[in-house]
Amino acid sequence: MSDDPQHTPRAIGGRAPDVLHPGGWVPMRQYSDDEEVDFAIVGTGAGGGTLACKLAEYGFSVVALDAGPYWRPLEDFASDEHHQAKLYWTDERIVDGDNPLQLGANNSGKSVGGSTVHFAMVSLRFRPEWFKARSKLGYGADWPLDWREMWTYYSEVENALKISGPVNYPWGPKRPRYPYRAHELNAAALVLAEGAEALGIAWSPTPLATVSAPRGHSPPCVYRGMCVIGCSTNAKQSVLITWLPRALDAGAEIRDLAMVGRVEHDKSGRVTGVRYHRQGRWRFQRAKNVVVAGYAIETPRLLLNSATSRYPDGLANSSGLVGKNLMVQANQAVWGMMDREIRSYKGPPSLAITEHWNYTDAGKDFFGGYAYMSQGPLPVVWSGVESTKRGLWGQPLIDEMERYNHQVGLKIVGECMPQENNRVTLADERDQYGLPIPRVTYSYCDNDKRLIDHSLGFMRDALEATGATEIWDETDDTCHLNGTARMGDDPQTSVVNADCRSWDIPNLWICDGSVFPTVGGVNPSLTIQAIACRTADRIKALAARGEL
Amino acid sequence: MRRADAALDFAANAALIGAAVLLVLRPRLVARAANSPLLPKARDLAVAGARALVPPAPPPLSWHVSTARQLSRLIASYSPTRIATARALTKRAGRRLNGSSALLAFSVLADSAVEHYRGSFANRAMYTPLVTSALTLGGSLFGMADARPKKHTVRDTIYAAAAATGFAGLCFHAYNVLKRPGGASWNNLFYAAPIGAPMALALAGLLGRGAERVRDVPPRQRPTILGMPAGRALAAVAAGGLFGTVGEAALLHFRGAFQNPAMVLPVTVPPVAAALLGAAALRPNRQTNRLARWWLRFTALLGLGGVGFHIFGVSRAMGGWRNWSQNVLNGPPLPAPPSFSGLALAGLAALSLIEDETDA
Amino acid sequence: MPDRYPGYDVLQKRHSPSWNDQTRAVIDRRMAIDPDHHAFFSDAEWPTMRAICDRIVPQPPNRLHPAPVAAMVDQKLHDNSGDGYRDARLPPLREAWRRALAAIDAEATSRYGRHFHEIGALLQDDLLKAIQNGEVDDKAWGDMPAKIFFQKRLLHDVVSAYYAHPAAWNEIGFGGPASPRGYVRMNFDRRDPWEAAEARPGREDKARAENARVG
Repeated sequence: MSDDPQHTPRAIGGRAPDVLHPGGWVPMRQYSDDEEVDFAIVGTGAGGGTLACKLAEYGFSVVALDAGPYWRPLEDFASDEHHQAKLYWTDERIVDGDNPLQLGANNSGKSVGGSTVHFAMVSLRFRPEWFKARSKLGYGADWPLDWREMWTYYSEVENALKISGPVNYPWGPKRPRYPYRAHELNAAALVLAEGAEALGIAWSPTPLATVSAPRGHSPPCVYRGMCVIGCSTNAKQSVLITWLPRALDAGAEIRDLAMVGRVEHDKSGRVTGVRYHRQGRWRFQRAKNVVVAGYAIETPRLLLNSATSRYPDGLANSSGLVGKNLMVQANQAVWGMMDREIRSYKGPPSLAITEHWNYTDAGKDFFGGYAYMSQGPLPVVWSGVESTKRGLWGQPLIDEMERYNHQVGLKIVGECMPQENNRVTLADERDQYGLPIPRVTYSYCDNDKRLIDHSLGFMRDALEATGATEIWDETDDTCHLNGTARMGDDPQTSVVNADCRSWDIPNLWICDGSVFPTVGGVNPSLTIQAIACRTADRIKALAARGEL
Repeated sequence: MRRADAALDFAANAALIGAAVLLVLRPRLVARAANSPLLPKARDLAVAGARALVPPAPPPLSWHVSTARQLSRLIASYSPTRIATARALTKRAGRRLNGSSALLAFSVLADSAVEHYRGSFANRAMYTPLVTSALTLGGSLFGMADARPKKHTVRDTIYAAAAATGFAGLCFHAYNVLKRPGGASWNNLFYAAPIGAPMALALAGLLGRGAERVRDVPPRQRPTILGMPAGRALAAVAAGGLFGTVGEAALLHFRGAFQNPAMVLPVTVPPVAAALLGAAALRPNRQTNRLARWWLRFTALLGLGGVGFHIFGVSRAMGGWRNWSQNVLNGPPLPAPPSFSGLALAGLAALSLIEDETDA
Repeated sequence: MPDRYPGYDVLQKRHSPSWNDQTRAVIDRRMAIDPDHHAFFSDAEWPTMRAICDRIVPQPPNRLHPAPVAAMVDQKLHDNSGDGYRDARLPPLREAWRRALAAIDAEATSRYGRHFHEIGALLQDDLLKAIQNGEVDDKAWGDMPAKIFFQKRLLHDVVSAYYAHPAAWNEIGFGGPASPRGYVRMNFDRRDPWEAAEARPGREDKARAENARVG
């Protein structure tokens, strides 16, 4: 394509890119800004994209706006880490606190399809008890959702994405079989398996959102290992190639390169639409309902940036919790060297997993749980670990990097506790749109540190048992972002209710990872999409009763 | 029909007596006639005519046969047509079984070459099935062309080696699966050495041995294998082989999530054919045999059609044929489906032997 | 140090199914970067930057196509392309580098009386180690903590530039670009014919011959 998707919108002129056919187009229904659509959705990722699809399929008029480009994976994606930084949110954000976070490539996408365009596709269900973390497990907060209800929505999402998972999954209550079979294990995954068997715990091939057999126009995964810099074969079942084509088919409009700057409201306090920047100028899309789905940093940022005299603390913020309770997940790792060649860069990064410490409560001196997975870092990321985390440079770095094909590691996804002082606020600097940029403040609490220590010790044992040597700990890494607009059943202690409807403004909804009251010890993407499916059903029910 | 049969036999007997008289009175004439090239053709024509006129006989209604009938059968068994028919039948069954073994050997040669290359020939023993299946293929092609009613020692030995290699391969593959983390887990069954694949080579060997046994039969006798009538024994082997191959296809198509509706064909059609073949072996009758014959033909066609589907599967993988260096190794195995055809042909050969056996 | 992957070159696969059009365009641009071109760093800053890159990611002197690390970092700063987050203790990207280069030169001058690029490799390493440990105090650093700059800016930008270049991929035996063709053999000690062959001690020739066939 000779157009530049990062500077010229593609979803215009009544059509949107057909991401499944090179150079192809699909017709797209377009609404004028003055048309008061049923739903204006900010963000087209795991929350916004899924919701746009379901609402359109239920017959609502939907405009979904995304600040990011509308990629054509088959044509636009190169096999190069440096170039593919174009998938990430690289606009400036300030990080501070005791443990300043890494953002950008680590956890923030800027694409139609959101972070699912660059995610590692790990698709796991919550442990049921986590939905009642406070009452059942004694920490965090309870979700206002029942796990049994979520179980059916998890099934819907797993089927929509044809998750490739093992025939028998060792943990959790009974569940239907994954629609596709799990992938072949690479050497890094076999190391995890050997270690787990040596320590006597269960392990499993990881359920992944990339297909192990043909699916429609998606070919099976070719194990190129570049998932986190964008799948150029469309084996990865991102929101971009699954929910969004359905959304377009059902009459939704997607607007790429459309940065929403403010959500406006009227004298009664209800929101009226979104102010967004596209093709060089500011515009305003009228809507009966606005859904904010910008993920856990952009969502509170937008709500705070939309402050007015009526809502001086930002929209939906009577609880004062918008931007607070930011949670990441611990992503510490243990690395080692093996005589055997591992070449871990082949295949998806996390082909094997153990959730042992998510489901075992005895033997822990901390609340919460963690899973750990095998890894396959690409050269630039790996060099960053060896230099900025381990401190190597000069000839020692060159020598160590030369052993790239022998390195192996285990990495956790660990539950961090919600803390109000971990938060997203507005900084004084402004971005290219003139909007205040976010400041992201994060510090571990003692429970987080105990969980991390436990995991490092356990993974070290697991790695040693396989014959790995020169084992060292990577202690500074986190993943994912959640919690900054938590859901609950009390307006004083939450921002939205179980239906993702804000307490303060009945036609303002938030549907992304921000709504998690606790973060659990598994990657959040499946849960976010399940929440979006549930929210769509609830909206449909409420609309039928005239309560919208 | 029986009257026509008897009339032909009488004519053949008359010709035989006439030839005997001629031999005594004019030996040179007989010698020249015996060496005439027209004689084999005439014989073949007569045999073909006899075959066309003599349909598969239903089983005898009672075991009790009168002395007169026994005597007439004894005389008839010396009938050259009868002898020629029987021997042609076993020869053709034999050559068909060689053909079936050839198809299986070809499938194993191509499949094991690709898959063991994929396994980097990490264990030296992985060369063995390539050598053995190549020899089996060569020997079987020879056997298909060989019209002599004799078993061939070299071929027979190759077949024995094939069977042994196949069974050894089964052990190697089982070890490969069990030694990985997870042991006999679904993931290892999907991605480690395929358990059922060496059985195709074992079957090629067994059926080839059957081919040799079947053609090497003294006159007036029916071929037997391990004391059993050959047709029934070979039907058991072919049916068992079909069920085993169905299991292998089921495992790998399950791995492929049956994403294409056609993937249910190799797990539905061949089992019916195998079941019918088994029924024909145990209780042959015209109805069962006809059904079995058609289902086996269908299975044979399916084997070829499967190659077409697998070609499509490779072409729709990422990069298609241009990415052959990955997709031929990772994609659906191109040479695997013809093993169904090979077994189906063996089943058809067994079926005709069974029909001959019951045509007493 | 002998080559671990002798004769291996990812560029040999440029026309193979391992590379696609977009990748070729991107890597061609990278290979065409002029190592001496600098649009952001001044003429005074440039030798300091070159010297820093030579110490952080030293390349063999006989390398045919060395990675133009300094020029790549210069391009990043010229484009002002950030990573999407900035430690609150650091000033924005461009200012951080300008200040640091001035400070590093000031440190060299105050310790050894010469510019950083003139003091030789050993002393340069000493100074860089001191910065990494936060043991520098020249007022040119201002309120920017040298230790944080070293870890989060200097190492991050310089090292990631180097390992984004095919020369580094060859050095570490990385498979390189992989689309549409990915990988078949994923088990221990297995390589696909288009991957780098590792030279076992005493078997360098065998690996070299295998790497010549990569494509």
